[in-house]
Amino acid sequence: METRYVGLVSLVIVAAFMMLAVAGLPGFGSFQQKEIATYYLENSLEDTGSANAVNSIVWDYRGYDTLGEETVLFCAALGVFTIIRRRFSGPHHKDDL
Amino acid sequence: MDLIIKTISRVLFPFVLLMGIYVAIYGHISPGGGFSGGAIIATSFALLVIAYTEGDVEHRFTKEELVDIKAVSGLILVILIISMGFAWRLELLKTQTPLVLWSGGFTPILNVAGALMVITAIVTIIYALVKE
Repeated sequence: METRYVGLVSLVIVAAFMMLAVAGLPGFGSFQQKEIATYYLENSLEDTGSANAVNSIVWDYRGYDTLGEETVLFCAALGVFTIIRRRFSGPHHKDDL
Repeated sequence: MDLIIKTISRVLFPFVLLMGIYVAIYGHISPGGGFSGGAIIATSFALLVIAYTEGDVEHRFTKEELVDIKAVSGLILVILIISMGFAWRLELLKTQTPLVLWSGGFTPILNVAGALMVITAIVTIIYALVKE
Protein backbone atom coordinates (compact mmCIF):
# COMPACT_ATOMS: atom_id res chain seq x y z
CA MET A 1 0.00 0.00 0.00
CA GLU A 2 2.79 2.38 0.90
CA THR A 3 4.88 1.50 -2.08
CA ARG A 4 2.08 2.67 -4.33
CA TYR A 5 2.16 6.12 -2.73
CA VAL A 6 5.94 6.26 -3.02
CA GLY A 7 5.63 5.54 -6.72
CA LEU A 8 2.91 8.16 -7.15
CA VAL A 9 4.88 10.86 -5.34
CA SER A 10 8.06 10.16 -7.30
CA LEU A 11 6.06 10.20 -10.54
CA VAL A 12 4.61 13.61 -9.68
CA ILE A 13 8.06 15.00 -8.84
CA VAL A 14 9.60 13.69 -12.05
CA ALA A 15 6.68 15.03 -14.08
CA ALA A 16 7.07 18.45 -12.46
CA PHE A 17 10.75 18.61 -13.39
CA MET A 18 9.91 17.47 -16.92
CA MET A 19 7.38 20.28 -17.22
CA LEU A 20 9.99 22.77 -16.01
CA ALA A 21 12.42 21.50 -18.65
CA VAL A 22 9.79 21.80 -21.38
CA ALA A 23 8.98 25.36 -20.29
CA GLY A 24 12.62 26.29 -20.76
CA LEU A 25 12.71 25.22 -24.41
CA PRO A 26 12.54 27.80 -27.21
CA GLY A 27 9.20 28.26 -28.90
CA PHE A 28 8.01 25.87 -31.56
CA GLY A 29 9.36 26.78 -34.99
CA SER A 30 11.46 29.73 -33.84
CA PHE A 31 14.66 29.37 -35.80
CA GLN A 32 16.34 32.45 -34.41
CA GLN A 33 16.69 31.03 -30.96
CA LYS A 34 18.30 27.73 -31.94
CA GLU A 35 21.83 28.73 -31.12
CA ILE A 36 23.12 25.21 -30.70
CA ALA A 37 22.00 24.18 -34.20
CA THR A 38 23.77 27.09 -35.86
CA TYR A 39 26.82 26.39 -33.72
CA TYR A 40 26.92 22.80 -35.01
CA LEU A 41 26.53 23.91 -38.61
CA GLU A 42 29.23 26.55 -38.42
CA ASN A 43 31.87 24.88 -36.27
CA SER A 44 31.58 21.14 -36.86
CA LEU A 45 34.31 21.05 -39.51
CA GLU A 46 36.88 22.78 -37.30
CA ASP A 47 35.87 20.95 -34.15
CA THR A 48 35.68 17.38 -35.40
CA GLY A 49 37.27 17.48 -38.84
CA SER A 50 34.43 15.60 -40.51
CA ALA A 51 32.59 17.29 -43.34
CA ASN A 52 29.33 15.47 -42.64
CA ALA A 53 27.62 17.53 -39.96
CA VAL A 54 25.16 14.79 -39.06
CA ASN A 55 27.97 12.32 -38.56
CA SER A 56 29.96 14.73 -36.44
CA ILE A 57 26.94 15.33 -34.21
CA VAL A 58 26.15 11.64 -33.90
CA TRP A 59 29.65 10.37 -33.22
CA ASP A 60 31.35 13.35 -31.65
CA TYR A 61 29.14 15.91 -29.96
CA ARG A 62 26.66 13.33 -28.71
CA GLY A 63 28.96 10.34 -28.45
CA TYR A 64 27.55 9.11 -25.17
CA ASP A 65 24.08 9.01 -26.69
CA THR A 66 25.40 6.86 -29.53
CA LEU A 67 27.15 4.60 -27.06
CA GLY A 68 23.79 4.10 -25.36
CA GLU A 69 22.20 3.31 -28.71
CA GLU A 70 24.79 0.63 -29.36
CA THR A 71 24.10 -0.78 -25.91
CA VAL A 72 20.39 -0.93 -26.74
CA LEU A 73 21.22 -2.76 -29.98
CA PHE A 74 23.41 -5.23 -28.12
CA CYS A 75 20.69 -5.88 -25.56
CA ALA A 76 18.12 -6.39 -28.33
CA ALA A 77 20.31 -8.99 -30.04
CA LEU A 78 20.99 -10.69 -26.73
CA GLY A 79 17.30 -10.76 -25.83
CA VAL A 80 16.16 -12.17 -29.17
CA PHE A 81 18.86 -14.80 -29.08
CA THR A 82 18.06 -15.84 -25.52
CA ILE A 83 14.30 -16.12 -26.10
CA ILE A 84 14.57 -17.99 -29.40
CA ARG A 85 17.15 -20.42 -28.10
CA ARG A 86 15.22 -21.20 -24.96
CA ARG A 87 11.95 -21.81 -26.75
CA PHE A 88 13.13 -23.89 -29.69
CA SER A 89 16.25 -25.70 -28.59
CA GLY A 90 15.82 -29.41 -28.33
CA PRO A 91 18.26 -32.05 -27.11
CA HIS A 92 20.11 -32.01 -30.45
CA HIS A 93 20.82 -28.28 -30.23
CA LYS A 94 22.68 -28.42 -26.98
CA ASP A 95 26.06 -27.53 -28.45
CA ASP A 96 24.80 -24.13 -29.58
CA LEU A 97 26.20 -20.99 -28.11
CA MET B 1 14.87 -22.03 -51.79
CA ASP B 2 14.35 -21.45 -55.49
CA LEU B 3 17.17 -21.65 -58.02
CA ILE B 4 16.42 -18.13 -59.25
CA ILE B 5 16.58 -16.67 -55.76
CA LYS B 6 19.80 -18.51 -55.04
CA THR B 7 21.49 -17.31 -58.22
CA ILE B 8 20.29 -13.73 -57.92
CA SER B 9 21.34 -13.44 -54.30
CA ARG B 10 24.73 -14.99 -55.02
CA VAL B 11 25.33 -12.50 -57.83
CA LEU B 12 23.97 -9.53 -55.92
CA PHE B 13 25.79 -10.18 -52.65
CA PRO B 14 29.23 -8.61 -53.40
CA PHE B 15 27.70 -5.42 -54.80
CA VAL B 16 25.47 -4.86 -51.80
CA LEU B 17 28.42 -5.62 -49.54
CA LEU B 18 30.62 -3.14 -51.43
CA MET B 19 28.01 -0.42 -51.23
CA GLY B 20 27.62 -0.98 -47.49
CA ILE B 21 31.36 -0.82 -46.94
CA TYR B 22 31.55 2.41 -48.95
CA VAL B 23 28.71 4.01 -46.99
CA ALA B 24 30.31 3.00 -43.69
CA ILE B 25 33.88 4.05 -44.50
CA TYR B 26 33.06 7.33 -46.24
CA GLY B 27 30.46 8.24 -43.64
CA HIS B 28 32.35 11.30 -42.40
CA ILE B 29 32.55 13.07 -45.78
CA SER B 30 29.43 11.90 -47.62
CA PRO B 31 25.89 11.02 -46.57
CA GLY B 32 25.72 7.83 -44.60
CA GLY B 33 27.49 6.61 -41.54
CA GLY B 34 28.04 3.65 -39.31
CA PHE B 35 24.42 2.77 -38.69
CA SER B 36 23.22 2.88 -42.29
CA GLY B 37 26.33 1.18 -43.68
CA GLY B 38 26.09 -1.56 -41.10
CA ALA B 39 22.43 -2.06 -41.92
CA ILE B 40 23.24 -2.43 -45.64
CA ILE B 41 26.02 -4.95 -44.99
CA ALA B 42 23.78 -6.92 -42.64
CA THR B 43 21.09 -6.92 -45.34
CA SER B 44 23.50 -8.55 -47.77
CA PHE B 45 24.30 -11.27 -45.24
CA ALA B 46 20.59 -11.71 -44.55
CA LEU B 47 20.02 -12.26 -48.27
CA LEU B 48 22.59 -15.06 -48.35
CA VAL B 49 21.39 -16.68 -45.14
CA ILE B 50 17.73 -16.67 -46.15
CA ALA B 51 18.44 -17.90 -49.70
CA TYR B 52 20.62 -20.80 -48.52
CA THR B 53 18.57 -21.99 -45.57
CA GLU B 54 18.75 -25.75 -46.14
CA GLY B 55 22.47 -26.17 -45.94
CA ASP B 56 24.76 -24.93 -43.29
CA VAL B 57 23.47 -21.56 -42.20
CA GLU B 58 26.71 -20.32 -40.77
CA HIS B 59 29.02 -20.78 -43.72
CA ARG B 60 32.26 -18.92 -43.13
CA PHE B 61 30.84 -16.66 -40.45
CA THR B 62 30.22 -18.60 -37.30
CA LYS B 63 28.54 -17.33 -34.19
CA GLU B 64 31.75 -17.35 -32.16
CA GLU B 65 33.43 -15.06 -34.68
CA LEU B 66 30.40 -12.77 -34.52
CA VAL B 67 30.68 -12.56 -30.76
CA ASP B 68 34.41 -11.84 -30.98
CA ILE B 69 33.92 -9.05 -33.53
CA LYS B 70 31.14 -7.56 -31.44
CA ALA B 71 33.25 -7.57 -28.30
CA VAL B 72 36.26 -5.95 -29.99
CA SER B 73 34.25 -3.25 -31.76
CA GLY B 74 32.31 -2.45 -28.61
CA LEU B 75 35.56 -2.10 -26.70
CA ILE B 76 36.90 0.28 -29.37
CA LEU B 77 33.70 2.32 -29.16
CA VAL B 78 33.85 2.59 -25.38
CA ILE B 79 37.55 3.52 -25.29
CA LEU B 80 37.31 6.13 -28.06
CA ILE B 81 34.14 7.79 -26.79
CA ILE B 82 35.43 7.96 -23.24
CA SER B 83 38.81 9.37 -24.35
CA MET B 84 37.14 12.04 -26.45
CA GLY B 85 37.91 14.84 -24.04
CA PHE B 86 41.67 14.29 -23.94
CA ALA B 87 44.22 16.29 -25.85
CA TRP B 88 45.57 13.66 -28.23
CA ARG B 89 42.38 13.80 -30.24
CA LEU B 90 43.09 17.44 -31.05
CA GLU B 91 46.70 16.56 -31.87
CA LEU B 92 45.42 13.91 -34.26
CA LEU B 93 43.09 16.46 -35.82
CA LYS B 94 45.93 18.90 -36.45
CA THR B 95 47.86 16.40 -38.59
CA GLN B 96 44.95 15.73 -40.96
CA THR B 97 43.56 17.66 -43.89
CA PRO B 98 39.76 17.72 -44.18
CA LEU B 99 37.69 16.23 -47.01
CA VAL B 100 39.93 13.24 -47.69
CA LEU B 101 39.49 9.67 -46.49
CA TRP B 102 41.91 9.83 -43.59
CA SER B 103 40.43 12.81 -41.80
CA GLY B 104 37.95 13.54 -39.10
CA GLY B 105 39.89 12.41 -36.06
CA PHE B 106 37.95 9.69 -34.30
CA THR B 107 34.91 9.85 -36.55
CA PRO B 108 35.87 7.29 -39.26
CA ILE B 109 37.15 4.80 -36.68
CA LEU B 110 33.93 5.18 -34.71
CA ASN B 111 31.94 4.75 -37.93
CA VAL B 112 33.64 1.45 -38.68
CA ALA B 113 33.29 0.21 -35.12
CA GLY B 114 29.61 1.16 -34.99
CA ALA B 115 29.01 -0.53 -38.35
CA LEU B 116 30.58 -3.71 -36.96
CA MET B 117 28.30 -3.50 -33.92
CA VAL B 118 25.20 -3.13 -36.12
CA ILE B 119 26.28 -5.96 -38.45
CA THR B 120 26.93 -8.42 -35.65
CA ALA B 121 23.67 -7.58 -33.87
CA ILE B 122 21.49 -8.00 -36.95
CA VAL B 123 23.29 -11.11 -38.21
CA THR B 124 23.02 -12.72 -34.78
CA ILE B 125 19.28 -12.05 -34.75
CA ILE B 126 18.92 -13.49 -38.27
CA TYR B 127 20.88 -16.61 -37.35
CA ALA B 128 18.68 -17.15 -34.32
CA LEU B 129 15.49 -16.60 -36.31
CA VAL B 130 16.47 -18.80 -39.25
CA LYS B 131 17.76 -21.65 -37.13
CA GLU B 132 14.73 -21.74 -34.82
